[in-house]
Parts: sequence; C-alpha cells; structure tokens
Amino acid sequence: MGVYLKGFLIACRGIPATVAVSLIAIVIGAAFGLLLALCSQTKSKVLQVLSKVYIDIVRGTPMLVQALIMAYGIPWLLQSWGVGFKWDNFGGMVVPAVIVCGFNSAAYMSEVIRSGIQAIDKGQMEAARSLGMSHGMAMRLVIIPQAVRIILPAFANEFVTLIKETSVLGYVGVVEILRRGQLWNSSSFETFPAYIGVALAYMILTIPLSKAINGYERKMARKESAA
Amino acid sequence: MLNENKEVMLEVKNIFKNFGDLEVLKGVSTEVDKGEVISIIGASGSGKSTLLRCMNLLEEPTFGEVWIEGKLMTPVDPYLHYDVIKASNTYKKLIAGGMDELDAIMKIKQEDLLQEKSGKEGSEYKSLMDKIYKENHIDTNLGRRKMSMVFQQFNLFNNLTVLENIMLAPVETAKYNKVKDLNGEKAKIREQAFTLLKRIGLEDKADVYPSKLSGGQKQRIAIVRSLAMNPDVMLFDEPTSALDPEMIGEVLDLMKELAQAGMTMVIVTHEMGFAKEVSDRVLFVDEGYIKEEGTPEEVFDHPKDPRLQDFLSKVL
Ligand SMILES: Nc1ncnc2c1ncn2[C@@H]1O[C@H](COP(=O)(O)OP(=O)(O)O)[C@@H](O)[C@H]1O
Ligand SMILES: [Mg+2]
Repeated sequence: MGVYLKGFLIACRGIPATVAVSLIAIVIGAAFGLLLALCSQTKSKVLQVLSKVYIDIVRGTPMLVQALIMAYGIPWLLQSWGVGFKWDNFGGMVVPAVIVCGFNSAAYMSEVIRSGIQAIDKGQMEAARSLGMSHGMAMRLVIIPQAVRIILPAFANEFVTLIKETSVLGYVGVVEILRRGQLWNSSSFETFPAYIGVALAYMILTIPLSKAINGYERKMARKESAA
Repeated sequence: MLNENKEVMLEVKNIFKNFGDLEVLKGVSTEVDKGEVISIIGASGSGKSTLLRCMNLLEEPTFGEVWIEGKLMTPVDPYLHYDVIKASNTYKKLIAGGMDELDAIMKIKQEDLLQEKSGKEGSEYKSLMDKIYKENHIDTNLGRRKMSMVFQQFNLFNNLTVLENIMLAPVETAKYNKVKDLNGEKAKIREQAFTLLKRIGLEDKADVYPSKLSGGQKQRIAIVRSLAMNPDVMLFDEPTSALDPEMIGEVLDLMKELAQAGMTMVIVTHEMGFAKEVSDRVLFVDEGYIKEEGTPEEVFDHPKDPRLQDFLSKVL
C-alpha cells in the first residue's frame, strides 16, 4: 500500500505547476476570449473574419501539436533566421506552455462568452441605450453582469478541462502532475502505482470543482423556477 | 392649432428606413411641440415602432434627419455643404482631371461619390465636417437623455433591483458629468427615486428584483425609470400590449397623469379610446407614410383616407 501512497504523493508535487498553469491560462483565456467574442460581434468584417479564422485554427488542431510548435518549432524557426531565441531566456518552458493553454482556451471561451451575451434579450441593451447610456456602459453595467451568471458554469467546466489538458505539457518540459509520475516511474519502475497516483492527483482537483459547478447550476435553476 | 409660443421639441424630416430590400418608411416628416401628446396608430407591421425607434436613433434612419430641441441627432450630410464637397479629395481629382467646378460638384452629389467612411477624402474635408458637426450636432447619447422610451416588453434590467433600475442611468450620468459631490448627488437621486415609487404606490418594492413583479408593476416602474432621467419627451411603444387586461388600466392612468402634467409624449398604441381621450394629435401610419393626421375628432370621427376608414372599422 505504501508504494501507492508514495506514487500519489509524488504526483501531488506536480499540483502547484498544473494549477498555476491552468489558472494563468484561464485568465488569459477569459480576457482574450472576451476580446474574440466582442470582435466576432463588431460591424467590422475584418475583425469578424480574423476571430473566426483564429478559432477554426485552434479548434482544428490538437493542443499538443500547438504546444510543440510554440515550444520547439518557433525557436527553431527564429534560430534558422539567425535570431538566437531560447525560451529559457524568457522565463523557461512554462512560458510557451501557458501561452498555448491560454490562447487555446480563449477559442473555446469566446464561443461560450458570445452565446452568453447573445442569450441576453436585446431589449436590455435597447433600454439602456434609450436611457442615454453608451454601448460600452450598457455592456459593462447591464449585459455582461447578466451574461456572467449564464456562462459561469461553462467557464468553470472549461477550467476543469484545462486542468486535464495541461497533462500534455509534460512533452514540452513542464514538470506537472503527469510528468512527476512519469519521472518517478522511470526511476522506480513502479508503473501501476505511478499512474494510479497521477490519476488520483487529477481527481482531487477536478471532482470537487465539478461538484461545485453542479451545485451552482442547481441553485440557479431553483432561483429561475421560483422567479 | 396655431400657437405663437410653440416650442418644437422633436422633429423628424423625410425619414426613410429600409431593412434590406424592405422599405418600411418612405419619407415621414413631423414635429412634436412642447407639451403635445401625439398618438401613432396603424396596422401591425406598418412601421409605427420603426418610426418611434428612429426618433431616438435606436434605429438609424436610412435617410433623413432627426432634430431634438434644435440639435441634429442624425449624421451631418456632407452633400448639403458645397465647401465640404470642394474640400474633398474626390473633388480635387475631378478638377485636376479638367472638370468644371459646378459639374464636379453636381457629379459628386448625384453619384454619391464621397468616400467619407474610408477616410479617403483627406484632412481638409475632415476638419470642415468636424466643424459643422460640432456646431449643429448633438451626441446621440446626450440626445437620448432628453427623451426616454417605454417598451412593450418593459425591459427592466434583470440584474438590478427596482431601486437600482431607477437609479442606474441618473447615477451614471452624474458620474459621466463628473459631478463634484457624487455622494450627495446619489442621495438626491435616491430620494427622487423613492418619490417616484411612492407616486405609483410601489415604494415597498424598492429592493425587489423585476422577476417578482406583475406586468403592470413592471411597466409602471419602467415609466418612472424613464421619468428619473427628467426627459423632455417620452416615447411609448405599445406600453400596454403585453399586459393582462386587468393591468392595462393602471398603466394608462399613469400615462394620463403625465399627459395632464404637461409631459410631451409620443405614443404608439392600439388603445383607441385612450388615444382619443389624451391626444392632441393623431398620426395614421400606413404603407410607409403618415397617411392622415389631425385632432382625435378629425381622425376618429371624420376619417378621410379610405385605408384609415378601413383600419378604424376593424379596430373600433
Ligand atoms: N430589425 C428589423 N429587421 C428587419 N425587419 C424589420 C426590423 N424591424 C422591423 N422590421 C420590419 O419592418 C416592418 C415594420 O415593423 P414595425 O415598425 O415593428 O411595425 P409596427 O410597429 O407598426 O407593427 C415589419 O414588416 C417588420 O417585419
Ligand atoms: Mg410595433
């Protein structure tokens, strides 16, 4: 039994890295996702097309491939152009990892945010405008607060997804949960306990979060039906 | 109704509005004087809402002008100013190509050649337009604060309580105007909000969310929310059409009170009895035009236009 506990504890040492990358990524994802969502709704055709192309590219390729391009492909390209670029000089391999996760999640978040904003009755915007508020004020004070309530569960689900997806970052040099387990496995050869430990470490993050989301959704549903 | 002292609050000139290929308004002009109550009637889909929404620029007219208290709300038309046309790069190119001055101006006007949006007309053009704009034009948001709109679907802000709904726009306006004593101003706005709520007998609902209110209560609150902006003109788009019959009375009573207090009002309505009772003037909108207008007696009792006669025979 001790070997299983050891596997679990070793995997747990990767939790700070996994959580940190996921947290920074979700913040980038939400901010850039909001920008993409607003771009897709502007009158500017150029911005609409740009945001659409971006989303198609990100959704159409695996995150591991994006991470490999960002972590190794881009330095290779820059070096072939004679630019001595190394991620280690810019904060280490965790930087491209966070960038890829963040911008990847932005593509998903933008869809979620867009549908959240669209779910708000257009009368809300019109009433705000007719009271003399600018478009920006109406968005900030009336539309986005209502949209946030709608998208909060999807937002938290995206965070759970991100936590799991960061497991590919071991391949680009980030020592997160899975990588911890792999390293231990290759020195101790305790293969089954190592990977079971990894699975448990992910579960103690994701399951409580998922439960909390369900609870929130039930509470919202009760509020709606009481209204 | 010749009145020497009349003061024009709102004027629309030659409003055209297309949605794609659909021509909804085909040249509508009218003015609204201070204290006047105007009802707009017409069949469903005839463009009454569109006209009302053009008045406060919730819809931008395809063509035409909207004036609020002597200030232009719609974009300034460069084709009305020869010196603006002459300052444009398009004009300069035509002249450089050997064209006569007047011919060049006429060509530009007739063929709508100014490429204003792309910024291709150069800085001289832009600074002239900016100057004209500053002199005549009012910020749309500012113009909208002078008139407020009451909607069929109430459109109370769902994320805010009744009191917050009423206070939001006045407080934001105070912030925007960088009022010095903001807290004092907020207290005043709050007091006014309570006075308004008392007036409609709903002060006990101040901290309630809209979802807990009846339709009639929502609409009366929407009306006092508009009043809190101290508007000069109030626009109503079928304010009672979404209400259960037993709640129509309370909303119409509040509107009558406003009319008696001298509020300038433009009301799209299907409540013909109400329109007859409160209006100074009634407009019949049909096929994209104001087909007939006049006093309630003229319009309801002696309609001249056959389409109006037909419409009235169906609704009365
Ligand atoms: N945003 C819009 N886009 C396209 N068509 C519209 C829009 N708003 C109104 N219309 C059309 O314009 C016509 C007039 O509508 P409306 O002004 O709402 O009529 P009314 O208020 O008199 O019933 C209708 O045929 C309607 O379908
Ligand atoms: Mg209508």
